[in-house]
Amino acid sequence: MKRKTREAVQGIVYILPSFILILCFCVIPIFMSGYFSFTNYNVMTPPEFCGLDNYKKLFTDSYVTSATKNTLIYVIVTVPIQTILSLAFAAFLANKMSKMKSGGFLRSVMFIPVIASAVTAGTIWRIIYNADGGLLNKLLGIFHIAPVNWLGDTKTALISICIVAIWKNVGYFLVIYYAGIMGISRDLYESAKVDGATSMQQFTKITIPMLKPITYLVVTLGIIWSFQVFDLSYLMTGGGPGKSTVTLVMGIYNSAFKQYRMGYACAQAMFLLVIIVVINVIEDKFFKEKKEA
Amino acid sequence: MNAVQSKKMHKQHKWTPISIIGLLILCLFAVICVAPFIYMLIMSFTQSTTLMIHWKDVNFGDFSNFQYVLQKSGFVRALLNSVIVVGCSCFFNCIIASMAAYGFEKKNFPGKEAIFRVYLLTLMIPGQVTMIPVFIMMNKMNLLNTYFALIVLIINAFGVFLIRQFMESVPNELLEAAQVDGCPEYRIFIQIVIPLIKPVLISLVVFTFVTSWNDFLWPLVSTSNSDMYTLTVALSLLKTQYQTNYGLILAGATVSFIFPFLMYVFLQKQFVEGIALSGIKG
Repeated sequence: MKRKTREAVQGIVYILPSFILILCFCVIPIFMSGYFSFTNYNVMTPPEFCGLDNYKKLFTDSYVTSATKNTLIYVIVTVPIQTILSLAFAAFLANKMSKMKSGGFLRSVMFIPVIASAVTAGTIWRIIYNADGGLLNKLLGIFHIAPVNWLGDTKTALISICIVAIWKNVGYFLVIYYAGIMGISRDLYESAKVDGATSMQQFTKITIPMLKPITYLVVTLGIIWSFQVFDLSYLMTGGGPGKSTVTLVMGIYNSAFKQYRMGYACAQAMFLLVIIVVINVIEDKFFKEKKEA
Repeated sequence: MNAVQSKKMHKQHKWTPISIIGLLILCLFAVICVAPFIYMLIMSFTQSTTLMIHWKDVNFGDFSNFQYVLQKSGFVRALLNSVIVVGCSCFFNCIIASMAAYGFEKKNFPGKEAIFRVYLLTLMIPGQVTMIPVFIMMNKMNLLNTYFALIVLIINAFGVFLIRQFMESVPNELLEAAQVDGCPEYRIFIQIVIPLIKPVLISLVVFTFVTSWNDFLWPLVSTSNSDMYTLTVALSLLKTQYQTNYGLILAGATVSFIFPFLMYVFLQKQFVEGIALSGIKG
């Protein structure tokens, strides 16, 4: 009995530092955010309860609707493309080049964009995308493609940002996928080969099903990160032209730290939270159903 | 056995036209991955305001852009701040997370699993949701513009979750044996547990390094004193100050990139394995 109590005390002592931090900087703030979202609060004067006003405003504010639309497009473009590219590259590297030095070299090279911060990446790409004589337009000029105002045109600005995000993320997920593929027992492939499966069949019938937990992780992380996009568009376009690249987090940032409308910003943050939770639940269902099928 | 098997596999993979196309695409992507950084490096040695590389303008002996960035734009201070923040984040995250993971996995106390479930739930919460109340709290406590503010938000439940997965593999018998031998609890943790979980700690260090080095929104919001700017904030300001002085801006980008890049070059294996492990265990 005494030993049990001692063990419990020890356990509590061990988790205490992290418990306090998570309580103070994550759990309590969520409830505060929830509370502030029903108030008008400008930091100077105490929060004033205003009911659902902030939430009503959300749906009429053209900034928020644009931000929601842009963020959704950003997620829908980047997540599938980066997942497929990283899986395809990882499978190729694992199956064809795992014993070759050049395969390791290619993997290392593709990881380089991951270690650059989004701010660094955004800074470089903004210059590469420059409409007048930027590197990309010059390169396209070689193939007689007319210069495009990548970041200055409402049609291309968001896609240009998506491309940089994909460029930056593929290396990260590739490394995760690669480790996953290398972890699959070679015997499975051997016996499939004996049964006469083509390499495409091996990929769809062995690699993809075996990698399902990893795909779940890659997609979940991809979605959560993508919904929080801010750095790239802040750095490359500042949200423009017009509102074509504003994002949900940029809306939160502007409301809270440019206009000091903390209550309204919290409402936007709660909105973001709800979207992420809902999408996660849907995704969970999707992955679970596939498991049963 | 493994080597023989892979040799056999190797032979079976003939380079068909399709796989050669695959290889070409892969190589093309690899080029796209590095080209922007090479462009950045070369351009940071030019004084011209044009965007193309004109070799006559490039002078690799001319470090004036770097000198300017480091001296006039406070990049030295920002670099130092970033190194302090990243170093402390990695250190404290490892200590706090491995303590918690050990407590959760190897000790029994009431409410343990419920608390752990709360930890897991917090992983889904985007930082922007908690950022505003944290900002307000820190503002009231005069903690903005401190290293504490920059570091504390990096520490989250991910590390606890990651290490706990790994902690399962630490044999209970070993810990019990140490206890029987009268080894004090803190020494069991420091001298037995920590060395055994070293691989996952490296993984957490890499993960924390990448996140805190890249962190932008929170430093942007929580620092108003230029002495506390981190490198990401300093670089973003450089862009607004010197709109078209591309050589200068890219010199700033080079400075912000060089440190993690060198880390990566020297600790490449740890980086890649760290990320891979966080994927498989996480």
